[in-house]
Amino acid sequence: MRLELRGITKRFGPLLANSDVNLTVEPGEIHCLLGENGAGKSTLMNVLFGMLTPDAGEVLIDGDPVAIRGPSDAVAHRIGMVHQHFMLVPVFTVAENVVLGFEPVHPWPVLDHKGASEEIRRVSRQYGLDVDPEATVENLPIGMQQRVEILKALDREAEVLILDEPTAVLTPQETEALFVIMRSLTSQGKSVIFITHKLKEVLAVADRITVMRLGAVVGSTSPSETNEDALAAMMVGRSVNLVVDKEPATPGAVALEATSLYVEDDRGLTAVKGLSVSVRSGEILAIAGVQGNGQTELVEALTGLRPVVSGSIEVEGCDVTGGSVRTTLNAGVGHVPEDRQRHGLVLSMSIADNLVLDLQHDAEFSKLGTRNLKAVRANGTRRLEEFDIRARTSQVVVGTLSGGNQQKVVVARELSRPLKVLICSQPTRGLDVGSIEYVHRKIVEMRDAGVAVLFISSELDEVMALGDRIAVMYEGRITGVVPPGTSREQIGLMMAGAPEAVAAGSTA
Amino acid sequence: MTLTDESAPPVEGPQPEARVLRAARRVREANVLLVTALAFVIGLAFGAVLIVVTTPNVLSSWSSFFGHPWATISLTFNTVWGAYELLFCGAIVDPRSLATAFTHSNKANWTTALTPISSTLTYATPLILAGLGLAVTFRTKLFNIGGQGQLIGGALGATLVGFSVHAPGIILIPLEILGGIAGGMLIASIAGLLKAHTGAHEVITTMMLNYIMLNVLVYLLLIAPYQLPGESQGESKFVLPAGQLPLLLGWLSNTLQVNLGIVIALVAVAVVSWFLNRSTAGFEFQVVGENPEAARTAGINAKRVIVAAMCISGALVGLAGMVQVTGIDHSMTAGYGGTIGFDAITVALLGRSKPMGVLLAALLFGGLQAGGHHMQIYSPTNIDYSLALVIQAVIVFCVATPALVIALFRLKVSGEAAESVTTGGWGS
Repeated sequence: MRLELRGITKRFGPLLANSDVNLTVEPGEIHCLLGENGAGKSTLMNVLFGMLTPDAGEVLIDGDPVAIRGPSDAVAHRIGMVHQHFMLVPVFTVAENVVLGFEPVHPWPVLDHKGASEEIRRVSRQYGLDVDPEATVENLPIGMQQRVEILKALDREAEVLILDEPTAVLTPQETEALFVIMRSLTSQGKSVIFITHKLKEVLAVADRITVMRLGAVVGSTSPSETNEDALAAMMVGRSVNLVVDKEPATPGAVALEATSLYVEDDRGLTAVKGLSVSVRSGEILAIAGVQGNGQTELVEALTGLRPVVSGSIEVEGCDVTGGSVRTTLNAGVGHVPEDRQRHGLVLSMSIADNLVLDLQHDAEFSKLGTRNLKAVRANGTRRLEEFDIRARTSQVVVGTLSGGNQQKVVVARELSRPLKVLICSQPTRGLDVGSIEYVHRKIVEMRDAGVAVLFISSELDEVMALGDRIAVMYEGRITGVVPPGTSREQIGLMMAGAPEAVAAGSTA
Repeated sequence: MTLTDESAPPVEGPQPEARVLRAARRVREANVLLVTALAFVIGLAFGAVLIVVTTPNVLSSWSSFFGHPWATISLTFNTVWGAYELLFCGAIVDPRSLATAFTHSNKANWTTALTPISSTLTYATPLILAGLGLAVTFRTKLFNIGGQGQLIGGALGATLVGFSVHAPGIILIPLEILGGIAGGMLIASIAGLLKAHTGAHEVITTMMLNYIMLNVLVYLLLIAPYQLPGESQGESKFVLPAGQLPLLLGWLSNTLQVNLGIVIALVAVAVVSWFLNRSTAGFEFQVVGENPEAARTAGINAKRVIVAAMCISGALVGLAGMVQVTGIDHSMTAGYGGTIGFDAITVALLGRSKPMGVLLAALLFGGLQAGGHHMQIYSPTNIDYSLALVIQAVIVFCVATPALVIALFRLKVSGEAAESVTTGGWGS
């Protein structure tokens, strides 16, 4: 099936999200749609999947224009989509999830469980998905859940499969396995539209690459004709530095020390299991690991947001275990939280207000319980310039900014206090290349100014580029601390639970 | 999708841009005002229909419309106009009696001219205070609907002080104020503590506290020290004369009931304005309201803020009880406060939880009540007082569903403005 998008234009008010976009997906190809956040990739795919109606343009299948008015039309035209956030019912089995909405029944209205399982086993075998139809979805790892989503699309006889940032949540090994599945799909005549902003993956798997920027297609190429630098330049319109420029660290005394930390997650299960870690001032300790291995709970414990079951936390020799968030912040800890929109910002308030969110009692901004609005505004204007936050004034509501600019607001606020320790959790998630580079540079600047930086990220490239030491976290423990030159394969194995020595041995 | 900001040029001169933003904000606020104004129009139109269908001679005239169309229309117009004229004269001022007061200036004529505005302010006073109290919690995204219970608490506190402390007014009235604040705060703090420490939803707890307080009141009125000696019908002792709020226009006539309470209410408007818009604590309240997770991450003790917000809210509602009992009623009876506690919710809603908005909304409600009574007394066609309440309810209904008003009048609303208008209601 040959899919063609012709002249797609979509406006959101004054904002041109897609402007005259043309895209052709040939049968049997993996077509990568590459672009920064906000480049219009998701809008385009939502148009294709019928979740948005374009203002102009048409969709053609095998040369014939088709009308797609909703996801069910898209499914009828054999287009399938795996969303970034899975749409599965956790307590149902794989089979139940796959047939949901298209349930096979016996001649009498009773769900045909056995038939469904058979069918899934068949499809699963055909494409090498290797999924057990009887397993309950909530017990499956993320990579497997993703395959269930793919199975769902295949069960509805999709010929074109849209994968929206499928690798964001996967380990390197799981990503490899996904690529194998993608190739097996295309070898049987299906086509895949693969949305990502990771350059390495594009080069590894794509047949064709279409790059989008600011709502328009800026170019089309193939892996054999291009390389990482050229793709990055196309994405951002200028050449970017993918390697972080930094001098070797000059570590000083230990500034942050956690000893035998045990922390529970929201369900009361132990998420951090006897973890010990120490960060010296003037160094970046990067923690690698797939999401959900206790990183979130570790950071929350270190910043006083989550109670510690046992163990201790010291900031420059000062015990802050069990203290309030305020105690920890006052001890000189800066915190760039994992989810900037939920934890870092008040989206309905102005940039200026957000910039003083943990400084509102500071003498500069408050006198006798009255806010010094003039100082708040002046501070806003100053930080806007200093941190290159792209907004008209500091009175702009934060919720209207792009992700990159929102993150700059958080970073600007945290760095504007005198810090001893900076804890950054996934600080570049969802940011465009330009903003990533910016955040990295700021973090290195803080390190050079003698701040101890604890940097947590599930992006291996980033961890390897930024860390002066790399600790790998798996199931609530540190499986090893390695120097930055360590191979991706070794760190990848450690992220999947192999002890340091074993991982080093198997890749040597 | 956030392309605009990425593609926007970097900041140049902030001056012209700031002007654009201010203009945009004005447009947005104009939309809010427009919706409120149109809600008023709808309310009056609905009232007009109600008058027509409930006034027998107008209705019968319509049944033979084609015989004498002009007479029908003019009768309808005159009836509706007459009713609304009475409503206006009873709420604000009757131009004729004002003219008389000027031409024949004496106490009696001035009393007549000032009676409407005095009674509007009197009705509005407790609504302003209670509305402010609820606005504080709404801005913190806490839905305190326990105005009734907190008002009874405040009135009980103020009454206890008012009949038991023998002191001159200059000492007794401030003590009553403290009694009112303490009573309201005590009741509200229960809901606040439960919310902060057990997660119990404040809608349920404040509502249940209303029932508890209603019945506690019944009980207290039958025992010492509240029970009025020799009274078994459930009435409290009277506030001592020194503790009764002085009438502002008492030198004209003691039928002009407007009293020191309105001054207390206006001071409260100023204080709450400062608190919500300028104070550090008010900023924290709103951060907790908008995003409790971010507040926690920023080191704000969200639990303490929740308790504090409920306490301040209760204090203001308690003060409403205090001004009502020491200014107007001077003693308490079962079911004290009537619907003030609930009307305050709609006042805060109509005023969009802003202190000035609450003041205007309370004055509107006060005016409709005063005018409604006036209309009922003087209407030649026996239009009932409750017509004013119907108009009031329709206005609030329309303000609470701005999308309906926008659709009815086919307003053109820009994207951002539409969001702020249609998602109005509680909070900012």
